[in-house]
Amino acid sequence: MSTSQAIYAGWMEIPTSAVNEDARRRAEDAAIAALVDQYAAALYRVAYSVLRNPSDAEDAVQEAFLRVLRHRHSLAEVRDHRVWLIRIVWNVTLDRKRRAKTRPETDDVAELARVLPAKGLSQEELATAAEHHARVLACVERLPAKEREVLLLSAFEELTSVEIASVLGITESSVRSRLFRARNLMAELLDYERNEHERSLR
Amino acid sequence: MNSNPHKPMSSAPNSDFGEETLRLIASLPVPQGLEDRVHEALGAAPRMGKVVAWPAGIRSRFSIESNWMRTAAAAAIVFVVVGGGWGVLNRVEQGQNGKVIVMPARIPASGGFSGAGAIRTPETIPGPTVKQPAKKAAAPKKNRIAQPAASHAAPQPVAQ
Repeated sequence: MSTSQAIYAGWMEIPTSAVNEDARRRAEDAAIAALVDQYAAALYRVAYSVLRNPSDAEDAVQEAFLRVLRHRHSLAEVRDHRVWLIRIVWNVTLDRKRRAKTRPETDDVAELARVLPAKGLSQEELATAAEHHARVLACVERLPAKEREVLLLSAFEELTSVEIASVLGITESSVRSRLFRARNLMAELLDYERNEHERSLR
Repeated sequence: MNSNPHKPMSSAPNSDFGEETLRLIASLPVPQGLEDRVHEALGAAPRMGKVVAWPAGIRSRFSIESNWMRTAAAAAIVFVVVGGGWGVLNRVEQGQNGKVIVMPARIPASGGFSGAGAIRTPETIPGPTVKQPAKKAAAPKKNRIAQPAASHAAPQPVAQ
């Protein structure tokens, strides 16, 4: 049993009536601190995959944990903290994106080349890869919202289709069918983009 | 490669759906000190969710969650609600009837249709009259049927 799990277990076993308010608050603080240590990185990646802006992603993570702090009394009823937290940060992220309605910062090819890993690539290969990534991200932005959401979440290795379904509040079969449609659309869009690119080079 | 059977992306790892780009973004390193900054933000957040808190002296002397405090609070709420309702009722003048407009009863004209209780009925405009074609005097029809036999005819009185 990990440290954070031990903290949750001990905290959940504390009867509300038996301890005073300060002790209960300390237990809640310890549990939330353990959640931050364990899941802040994963939540940041989820937020970054949508916002593609480091400071916005960090703000989204902080806002998500502030929401957790506000609802800390119901934390003991949560079965899977990881999926629950991802669902919170996902909603925060979508809210932020809807409000901002700005283009992601890393749509810029140079910015992508700086952000994405480039081990063992020459400068020319790096530029080509960055251009490809930018084209892919532009195609992702053109997908319908439902398909885009599933595609973005499915990129996380640690999320299964069951967990994606839980985050989005849909069934697992819906996740699979949306992902199927998203991949087909992406293939068509990338093919079209590639043809256009080659035609412009001629 | 992910061996998870529930992992939807693991079915076609080499196909070009742009998933490699998304995977790269999903695995980007997290900025340094993220957890510390989140801890700081949580520490700076207001701790109590309630707007009005009990004064410290009262809180220390009485237990907020005790039963008699709850009963007293409930009784105070009931007293205020009932007293307010009684006060409102007391100010309303009893026995004052509302003004009622009585419409005069319409007596329908004899022989016509009734107004069915309508307050006002529009006057009807006399409509166009259809001229009845004048009846022609019936022309004597030809006797298509043979005349009855003389023996069947009524006996004519003989003039004297």
